Amino acid sequence: MEVGKVKLRIYGMTCGDCVTKISRSLLEKQGVMDVNISLQEGLGEVEFDPTDLKPGDILKNHVFSRNSHYRATLIE
Amino acid sequence: MRKEPKRYDLVILGRGAAAFSAAIKGSEISNGEMSIALIGTGPLGGTCVNVGCVPSKYLLEASHRVFMPKHPRIDGIYETIVNHDFSTVMKGLRSYVRDARESKYAEVIRNYNNVTLYDGLGKFLDRKTVGIEDDKGRNVRIVSGSNILIATGSRPSIPNIEGLTEAGFLTSDSLWDIDKLPSSVAIIGGGAIGLEIGQALLHFGSRVTIVEAMDSLLPQTESEIGSALRTLLEKEGMKFYMRARISRVHKYRKKKSVEIITHKGKEKIAVDEVLLATGREPNTKNLNLEVAGVKTDPRGMILTEASMRTTSPGVYAAGDCVSKKLFLETLAAREGVIAVSNMFGETANIDYGSSAWAVFTYPQVAGVGMTENEFSKKNGSCLCRTFPLSNLTKASIMGETEGLIKITVDPKDNRIAGMQIMAPNATDMITEGAYAVRNGYTIDDIIATSHIFPSMSEGIKIAAQSFIRDITKMSCCVE
Repeated sequence: MEVGKVKLRIYGMTCGDCVTKISRSLLEKQGVMDVNISLQEGLGEVEFDPTDLKPGDILKNHVFSRNSHYRATLIE
Repeated sequence: MRKEPKRYDLVILGRGAAAFSAAIKGSEISNGEMSIALIGTGPLGGTCVNVGCVPSKYLLEASHRVFMPKHPRIDGIYETIVNHDFSTVMKGLRSYVRDARESKYAEVIRNYNNVTLYDGLGKFLDRKTVGIEDDKGRNVRIVSGSNILIATGSRPSIPNIEGLTEAGFLTSDSLWDIDKLPSSVAIIGGGAIGLEIGQALLHFGSRVTIVEAMDSLLPQTESEIGSALRTLLEKEGMKFYMRARISRVHKYRKKKSVEIITHKGKEKIAVDEVLLATGREPNTKNLNLEVAGVKTDPRGMILTEASMRTTSPGVYAAGDCVSKKLFLETLAAREGVIAVSNMFGETANIDYGSSAWAVFTYPQVAGVGMTENEFSKKNGSCLCRTFPLSNLTKASIMGETEGLIKITVDPKDNRIAGMQIMAPNATDMITEGAYAVRNGYTIDDIIATSHIFPSMSEGIKIAAQSFIRDITKMSCCVE
């Protein structure tokens, strides 16, 4: 099965540590295969196993929860 | 070749209550980072502030201040004629609307640097791209959005009646521009809009005739309320043609002749003005929804899930353009918030079941949850009680005893399934019902909660007590 890909618009990032924190948190989730985040553009690309996850599931991560400093929406 | 679109995180079509609440919510969640395009025609703020709730409530309040002193309800208080100038009242109304629009919408949105306003009609070019047309139909800008929210609202529907266009008519969009009180008005439609405007004009001194196609007023209400309100309005001088329709309107000299068909046959009335209040239709026809894959119901209203997602991924809808039963400013704003919350990966759903609605006649009518019939149809049986305000101390003191409170309860567990109120301040009282329905409170919860004596809201407690005892034999202090 083809690898799933989503693009994220990520809000709240201010430095490289933010990128590391979000990347690590996304990669912890079962099914997430690769994460690439651009601090400058506020964008992220996530590759995932579609047998484990649907695109919307990528946002359901504690790093993007209501209490977090970071929030995200799906672009594609 | 198509111009490269200007990219936004969120494109919102419309700029009324749903659009504003969505734009503000998106800005808050993203801490002002979400780039948002707000596209629309007409004045900022949409229906509610410009031609809906705000001016209609202003007109009603002003009209009551003319009517009430003429009709005192306490012995020893004598009839007083209130001098007034309708034209100045209307100027005041328009000025209030302008100020409200400026302070609640224009100034507010200026504080959000992440929001760009576009004047024009937004039309889908594809699922993610919107063309903006000016008033001459020229495409002036193309924008794209990672997410799109359709919040284009609705407008008064114009029935196909012979001679109507030639004779001229008012709607709830155009009424606010008049300066002279029409001495007689035929209002087509006995729903919330028709009755509110009708009573306001009646209280200022117009002769008002309501022509309604159904056999009862306010079909969403309990039948006791529809008939009690009709009796009261008839006492005030309003005339009703029920199960009736207009076959023809024509103008002669300065008057309009309206031909009404009822089960008794044809009848003609002569009036100064005709006002249409036959419902509203969604502003969805010109949006090119099909290219975006957004589906509508047969009335053109957009189909959504409870998450406000449409049939097209990444496209949401909120407000009066959505297919649903209740069309309220408060609900539109909530739907806007729900849509944006879901864009951010939250799991939020709209709860229509505990949304309170209101009709701002005097007395007011308000409700929440299911009626007796709705609950019985769904569950086979229900328990309900109707408490007349004539048994309520505060209502008797005020001389405002025409109303009632009806509570519908789930017989399985005594939870409040619905509440409807007709009372001078029903729109304030109903919040107790909304809490009860939303949180699953029982009649015991309402009885155990302290209510002020004497107050109108005490009526809700007594209505709840009527499930467990005969309240006609109850002292006013029994808990």
